[in-house]
Amino acid sequence: MLIALLALIGVLVALYLTLYKMGVIGTLVCQVGSCERVNTSRWATFLGLPVAAWGLATYVLLLALALAGLQGIAPRRSAWGLVLLSGWSVLFSAWLTYLELFVIHAVCMWCVTSATLMLLIFISSVVVLREELRGA
Amino acid sequence: MVRQQRPANTKWFYLGLGIVAVVGVGLIARTASHDSAASAVTDVKATPAQAEGYLLGNPNAPVQVMEFADFECPACGQFATVTEPDVRKRIVDAGLASYRFFDFPLVEVHKNTLPASNAAACAADQGKFWEMHDRLYYGQPDWNTEATGNPKKIFLQYAKELGLDVGAWEKCFDEQRHLSRILGNRAEGERRQVRSTPTFVIGTKMIPGAISYDQFKAYVDSAAQQVAAHGAARADSQSGKGVTQ
Repeated sequence: MLIALLALIGVLVALYLTLYKMGVIGTLVCQVGSCERVNTSRWATFLGLPVAAWGLATYVLLLALALAGLQGIAPRRSAWGLVLLSGWSVLFSAWLTYLELFVIHAVCMWCVTSATLMLLIFISSVVVLREELRGA
Repeated sequence: MVRQQRPANTKWFYLGLGIVAVVGVGLIARTASHDSAASAVTDVKATPAQAEGYLLGNPNAPVQVMEFADFECPACGQFATVTEPDVRKRIVDAGLASYRFFDFPLVEVHKNTLPASNAAACAADQGKFWEMHDRLYYGQPDWNTEATGNPKKIFLQYAKELGLDVGAWEKCFDEQRHLSRILGNRAEGERRQVRSTPTFVIGTKMIPGAISYDQFKAYVDSAAQQVAAHGAARADSQSGKGVTQ
């Protein structure tokens, strides 16, 4: 349940940033840090798509896996999927955070929120997978 | 997660999840509509009174474009360095539109933006506003608030690079000679309810955000069609008058 909730919040954060990149939202609400500087930097795009859009797709997948698990659909596969996808995303978020701190020299509070959500999802997913493996 | 986390109150969880989704999407939609409200039709006849901006291109071009921008805003920098060169070459130089830049310094968040506007205004005295405009945007990471507390040193360097009379430029900069002009430009933006930078007024439309070249061109084309249709309607009404007389 926690994973689904975290993934849903992640979907909303990533959707907000994606809409900004698409120009639907003119200005980011950003009380802390320099969100615009980060999101208009050249590192805000990955393989031709905005990083926020990749994040949105990832969170949607994580939400789908979490809900599948809750419904009892292939629970172990769902748990493995959650661990692998969130694990990869934690590494990707770590790289983005490194870029913010040491290359762009600006921090985006939405990006930090997303990185924290992803880390929490990963930790929760590992716990869930362990329970699944024990229950087998 | 799965077996253990399927208690009887699962439906309450889904309800909660649904509420979070609805509230979240609602907040995002509210932000988006707040911005798109600004992209509604604006009063194009409301010509600037004190504010004159900085003109590029033919002032009698069929479409008038206004840009409200902050020199330190990254999105403005992105537009100026990535999109604007194409806009100048293919739209302004081609005579499709005139382009007028208005300072909209967000002094509340950007400490060095007002000095940058000053630097550009003083370069305008020597006929090099656009050269300084470009230099400031291309060098934005070198003089923004994060980079330095004393941007004048860098602006002086730019003035030298652009071949300005540095003494005259520096005197103008130190006196903040054009502060009222800059604040007038900002006031014009406020009067038009500019809420973010960059914001463009293209014909009768106000568009916030660093739009792409294709979007920019589409707005210019649409404004040109509007102007042409308006002109044709006026011609019709005048010829109609002629018949009745």
